[in-house]
Amino acid sequence: MNVIYAAATGIMFALGVFQLLRRDMIKSAMGFYILFTAINLFFFAVGAFNGQVPAYSQNLPKGQPSDPMVQALILTAIVISFGSYAILLGLIAKSARRYRTADLDTLNHLKG
Amino acid sequence: MALLLGLVLLGTASGSMEMQHILADNSLRTHAWYPVFTVLILIGCFSKSAQWPLHFWLPGAMSAPTPASAYLHSATMVKAGIYLLLRLHPVLGETPLWQSGLMIFGLITLLVGALLALHQHDLKAALAYSTVSQLGALVALIGLPDGAGVKAALVGILAHSLYKAALFLTAGAVDHATGTRDLTKLGGLAKWLPGWAVVAGLAGLSMAGIPPLLGFVAKETLLDAMLESPLALLVVVVSAALTVAMALILVWDVFMGERHDSTQDVHAPDLGMLVGPAVLVCAALIAGVGVDHLVKPLVQPVLHKEIHLVLFAGFNSAFWFSLLAIGVGIVVFMTRSQWRAFTMPETPSGKQIFEGVVGGVERVGDLVLRSQNGQLRYYLFVILGTVVLLQLSAGLSHITETSFQFAWNDSTDILRGLLLLVSLGAMVASIVIRQHFMAALILGVAGYAVGGLFLLEPAPDVALVQFMVETLGTVLIIIMLAKISAPERQAAMQNLWGQSRSGLIRDGVIAILIGVGVGLFALAAVNHRATLPNTISVWHLENALPLLGFPDVVGAIVTDFRGMDTIIEITVFSVAALGVLTLLSTPDTGSDWPRHFKRLAHGFRSNVLRHELKTSKIHHAHDKAFAEPEIETVFQSHFSTPLTRSVSAIVLPFALLVALSHLLYGGEGPGDGFTAGVISGLGVALWYIVYGYNEAQRRLGWLKPRYLIGTGLTLVIANAALPLLTRQPFLTHISFDAIHLPANLHLSTTLFYETGIFLTVLGCTSTVMEAIAYPGEVEPL
Repeated sequence: MNVIYAAATGIMFALGVFQLLRRDMIKSAMGFYILFTAINLFFFAVGAFNGQVPAYSQNLPKGQPSDPMVQALILTAIVISFGSYAILLGLIAKSARRYRTADLDTLNHLKG
Repeated sequence: MALLLGLVLLGTASGSMEMQHILADNSLRTHAWYPVFTVLILIGCFSKSAQWPLHFWLPGAMSAPTPASAYLHSATMVKAGIYLLLRLHPVLGETPLWQSGLMIFGLITLLVGALLALHQHDLKAALAYSTVSQLGALVALIGLPDGAGVKAALVGILAHSLYKAALFLTAGAVDHATGTRDLTKLGGLAKWLPGWAVVAGLAGLSMAGIPPLLGFVAKETLLDAMLESPLALLVVVVSAALTVAMALILVWDVFMGERHDSTQDVHAPDLGMLVGPAVLVCAALIAGVGVDHLVKPLVQPVLHKEIHLVLFAGFNSAFWFSLLAIGVGIVVFMTRSQWRAFTMPETPSGKQIFEGVVGGVERVGDLVLRSQNGQLRYYLFVILGTVVLLQLSAGLSHITETSFQFAWNDSTDILRGLLLLVSLGAMVASIVIRQHFMAALILGVAGYAVGGLFLLEPAPDVALVQFMVETLGTVLIIIMLAKISAPERQAAMQNLWGQSRSGLIRDGVIAILIGVGVGLFALAAVNHRATLPNTISVWHLENALPLLGFPDVVGAIVTDFRGMDTIIEITVFSVAALGVLTLLSTPDTGSDWPRHFKRLAHGFRSNVLRHELKTSKIHHAHDKAFAEPEIETVFQSHFSTPLTRSVSAIVLPFALLVALSHLLYGGEGPGDGFTAGVISGLGVALWYIVYGYNEAQRRLGWLKPRYLIGTGLTLVIANAALPLLTRQPFLTHISFDAIHLPANLHLSTTLFYETGIFLTVLGCTSTVMEAIAYPGEVEPL
């Protein structure tokens, strides 16, 4: 399973970076989102992996609980990455509204 | 870099990266690597805390906006180095290397900073150099033998933060009011800015060390600690005198005397801006008077011994030296014009050397990057390429020791593999598919698959939040896409694959290399994962139920054990939401935005907007080519059927009910204030999609997102601060188990905390939705 998780993280990074480098800003934003997901998954695979029961301390069968600390950190990371995603989308909406284009190179030419 | 290397060596030497373990390790001083990692750590801390000769960056960073400089340069950033020195002092300190290193560099910095401060014409630069000087004093104090200076250092940190932040904010206000920060041009501002003059005066008195402000206590303890060593005492007294002079210059030359440059109008800043510095100065005053009761409890736990800390320690030698410093300082102030004229000998300063090195690097860089084409993507490509090279050079050496075990443990592993495949496939599809709407939806699938992985871990709390955020993100991008007209999107999409083949290959290669690098890194990390749960997690698992009555350990960590993280997290979230609002609610001409912004924020939105749309249409009627693509109609034709309208009318109240249950039973299972907020926010988002902007605004008149953010944040912080009244630590939760409620409800202050988070998050999501769905004005290009 380790190898698969690691490979998946790598592939997600590759896809995210490729998307990020597109001219189309909307696709770029999607690339960002893929990267966020990949990073969260990586943290998760390194930290909280291999638990047998949820991290609850009552009414549960015995077993190795999933590491709650890492889970809490990922929770925060998800929220913060959503915040930055929202800002990114806001920027794109603004530039689309103002310059009427979602294409980075056209935007660059407008800079004059 | 030096710091990182030093810390890694330190960790290796003590065999653990855990602070507790390192601090308990007394053998570090005799370790063979001691000189190496100590010097490295010192270099790191010195550059962070702006010690000579690495002090030059601090004044250089002064071009930042005032709140940033007040926050960074007076408190957080530069104190980080001091903090690390203090933390490591018990294990690394008390050796000749440590003591002499800290004393020599600290004292030089103290003197150099104080001298240079006198030379500055720029108000903020003068403050920056005086900060450098104070930091030098702190470093020197930590270097004193037997930890004699630690008390003084702690008091000094507090006093300095309070008065220097107030002075920085004042400098910003002066700059704002007069348009200049040049000390030679300013003067007599007290007439225009009386409130600021009082605040700056008090802060200046604290800086000069005049009783009864906290600065006096700080200086007394500083002098007292230095009494043992004559040379250090001399340096400290001289610097203290220069500081007194500096404080006088800062306050007198700006607010008193005559105005030298009357060309600029003075316009007083908002009175509200005065609140921040005023609070700081009052804190300095109160802490000074009540030093025994207020500051001592803060300092005492660090020292592990009884300490003596009073406002006035009597007529001891420290007091006389203090008096001497004040006297000399006044003399220096009287003769300040001569001092300022006196020029420093021309030696290559640290800054010049640094700039020379950077210049050289830049020239080499210019050769390599001859084609600076201004494309951000190209820069990104260069950066990422460098990352790849670094990764490969570091990763290849580790690859040999990484084993490629490939074992399926049980059937859930197969499910996990499938989910990973689904998410990867969805991501690929989101790249290949040419329609933005479809790509966005498919990306949502990828996020859901990752959420499924979290669920299988089993980590239900994380999975729930992942599902929620994923949905919200997809909704957001779809609303945003509807705002961009179809031709624009098509144009962008055509360019997507229309770029040159070599460009595509270049991006592909870099992406694959990054992927391989990260994959290898991930493999190494996953294979070296700790097999035993770390101590913190175990502690959390054991204590969540007894201490908080929370069976849900993750929930307990988020709401209590790491509650501070959550407070910061939702603050960031609010800032992001308000950022989106400001970005999108300003008209694109940018001329009259405050009026517009206020109107948007004050609630009578829909009426005004409808009127505005009408007028803007009339305004642009002659120019049909740029007529607004009718977003309202686009939305309504797609989504607004009688069925969807009635369904979404039910969904929002239902979502609020679900949110309520999450709030009340948050500690029992997955879900908390955050998910409650997002669920309700999704209900709101649905209304925006189905009803369109104007109707949703009208229907949601009762929902005031900005007030919700404010109320929520206030509730959270008030609730966290409440225990302070009963002398309990910040964020202590009080449980009212004595009150028995039906249906297994537990009443505790956590509920208020969660409610605050809920309100903030609901406010944020609604704000973002509203801002993105806002039709806006049409600006012809």
